[in-house]
Amino acid sequence: MRLRGDLLTAYLFVLPVVVSLAVFLVGPIFYAFWISFFRFSFLSPEQSTFVGLANYIRLFHDPRFLKALANTSFYALGVVPVQIAVAFLLALIVDGQIKGKTFFRVVYFLPTVTSTVAVSVMFMYLFKNDGIVNMVLERLALPTVDWFHNVRFALPATMVMAIWTTVGQLIVIYLAGLQDIPDELYAAADIDGASPWQKLRYITWPMLRNTTFFILIMSLIGTFQVFDQMYVISKGEGGPQDATLTVVFYLYRTAFKEFNMGYAAAMAFVLFVIIFVLTLIQRRLFREETA
Amino acid sequence: MRVDLRPFVTVWVAFVLVLSLAGCGAQRGANKQQAAQPAKEGETITLRVGGWASSPEEQAILDAQIAEFKKNHPNIDVKFEPVVGDYLQKLQPMIASKTEPDIFYLDAYAAPAFMDKGVIEPIDEYVKKNNVNLGDYEDSAVKAFQWKGKTYGLPKDYSTLALFYNKDMLDKAGVKPPTNWTELKETAKKLTKNGVVGFSMSAELPRYQPFVMQTGGSVYDGEKATFDRPENALALDFFYGQMMREAKIAADPKTLGVDWSGDAFADGKTAMVVEGPWLIPHLAKKAPTLAYGIVELPVAEGGKPANMMFTVAYVLSKHSKHKAEAFQLMAYLAGEAGQRVVVERGLALPTNKTLGQDFADRYSERKPFVDAAAYATPFQYGTIGVKLVDAGNKAAEALLLGTQPNAAEALKAAQKQMEE
Repeated sequence: MRLRGDLLTAYLFVLPVVVSLAVFLVGPIFYAFWISFFRFSFLSPEQSTFVGLANYIRLFHDPRFLKALANTSFYALGVVPVQIAVAFLLALIVDGQIKGKTFFRVVYFLPTVTSTVAVSVMFMYLFKNDGIVNMVLERLALPTVDWFHNVRFALPATMVMAIWTTVGQLIVIYLAGLQDIPDELYAAADIDGASPWQKLRYITWPMLRNTTFFILIMSLIGTFQVFDQMYVISKGEGGPQDATLTVVFYLYRTAFKEFNMGYAAAMAFVLFVIIFVLTLIQRRLFREETA
Repeated sequence: MRVDLRPFVTVWVAFVLVLSLAGCGAQRGANKQQAAQPAKEGETITLRVGGWASSPEEQAILDAQIAEFKKNHPNIDVKFEPVVGDYLQKLQPMIASKTEPDIFYLDAYAAPAFMDKGVIEPIDEYVKKNNVNLGDYEDSAVKAFQWKGKTYGLPKDYSTLALFYNKDMLDKAGVKPPTNWTELKETAKKLTKNGVVGFSMSAELPRYQPFVMQTGGSVYDGEKATFDRPENALALDFFYGQMMREAKIAADPKTLGVDWSGDAFADGKTAMVVEGPWLIPHLAKKAPTLAYGIVELPVAEGGKPANMMFTVAYVLSKHSKHKAEAFQLMAYLAGEAGQRVVVERGLALPTNKTLGQDFADRYSERKPFVDAAAYATPFQYGTIGVKLVDAGNKAAEALLLGTQPNAAEALKAAQKQMEE
């Protein structure tokens, strides 16, 4: 009897969270899945028509979606490895015995706490046709490019920006991981006469496996969902010539500019499946190596 | 071991109950008959007007209009509810939940989606009852709000395009503002020097479309894109190919390091631009000492003048409880008396033809905009507008960037994008 009363109290306590999650998160997700099978009209939901899998089938014949998917993959494959490598290196440096490391930690972390929009605007000034980057290139007698308005360079320039912005956050995570490695391991390695490289290769890197896995997954998810940088830089167009059109960007345009909610919902679920599968693959790979 | 599931079940039953109740409530509200309830004698009703928050100047116009209306309708209270941020994005859920204002602004470009779905009220009946003469309005502006034989909006103001030129630069070069394409090219050539390009126009459909139409082309016809008509290529090749890419006597504002040609003009980076009356207050603020003139768009040799009409109307909510009064309000705001306030402020162009003449007399330098209304095509492409403008912009951009060899190919690609 007593126990039941306690249980009831406990359930009552979790009720607000359960309800709010169900209403504002789980419910909409199921609803979005539901409308992805419709030609859905936001203006008058009563006029929506059921189209079965048509939205999903159309996606894979839509050259703009495929282009967006290619852009997103290119972006993710370019940004994630570089991001991780740079963050790892900088974390090692900041973790070491150098002067003013607190200063460097702050400096590296600053871009992360700056809003993406502000960062994007700043980079637009840097990469403008008459911006600082081109001024420097001109001084060095190198050819200049109108970065964000060039089909070939718009996406890479955005990638540079993304790396610059997010590296700080990854450094902090790596630093936490580095501090968790017991000193005894390094002491034992010293006694065995291990070189710094060997210590890095056989102690630091393997001990950070979990951290790296976490960062890898979070970065991949983040890069596959990239939207705001592109939105600001291309003024909501995804240009030039769809060069900066990403999946989420295309989804946004479809949903809120063309008001084609059903098709946009289908896109969201395809993206979800892609990210889900990628995460599963990584998990499998990492587990095998550990075993 | 038996686990007592009852509390758990209770909680979930309660939860489901709450949800379904909420659902029912919404449903009931939705199904409720929104019968017209004319205001009773002595009763005060409130009408809500929806629009986007614009400049303080425009707000002052509306406030003055509403004050005038209230004088003659003491039992009607009018409340303006400006939307901050993306207007259409906020308007749609309001309509879906049947809580939109009684009358609200709607841009011609966005209107077809609303008219086609039938989520705004056709006003033909009210027009007849209140003796509103649609013939008083600029024809293109009215046409922009007609769909399948019904009228949905009363246009409140409009803008067209004209050629702005820098007086000092043209005087120094000893040239007159161009009236046709050959003159435009020659003038631009003479004015391109000392870091200034003669002419600037963005790679956007609503800028090059008038020139396409001058040579007999078109990009839209009855819910279909017509980018691949052979006569369309001429204008694109001339502006983005010959003038910009080859001769470099003209440039896209982006390559000049600014967002739109209005800024390039204000900064003195270019001598001539194609823009609308919105550039006038911008110049007054950003370049108050700049001496400039406005003329009608240069016309292709042997072609006929063409222009774009950007217009916004008041439309009537389907769910308004006071449709008759709401229509009276919009008929006043978009009518002769209401638009007289617009004319006095000299900011937007009045859609009323007689007042348009008044406006042209009073602000003679802005006459080119009024004159263009007679031959302008509304900036509206049915329900495929967003896609069509995107494809059209890309065609010009591709030509400029050199990713397409010529206008014919660029337009063919645009047409293909529309047919996917």
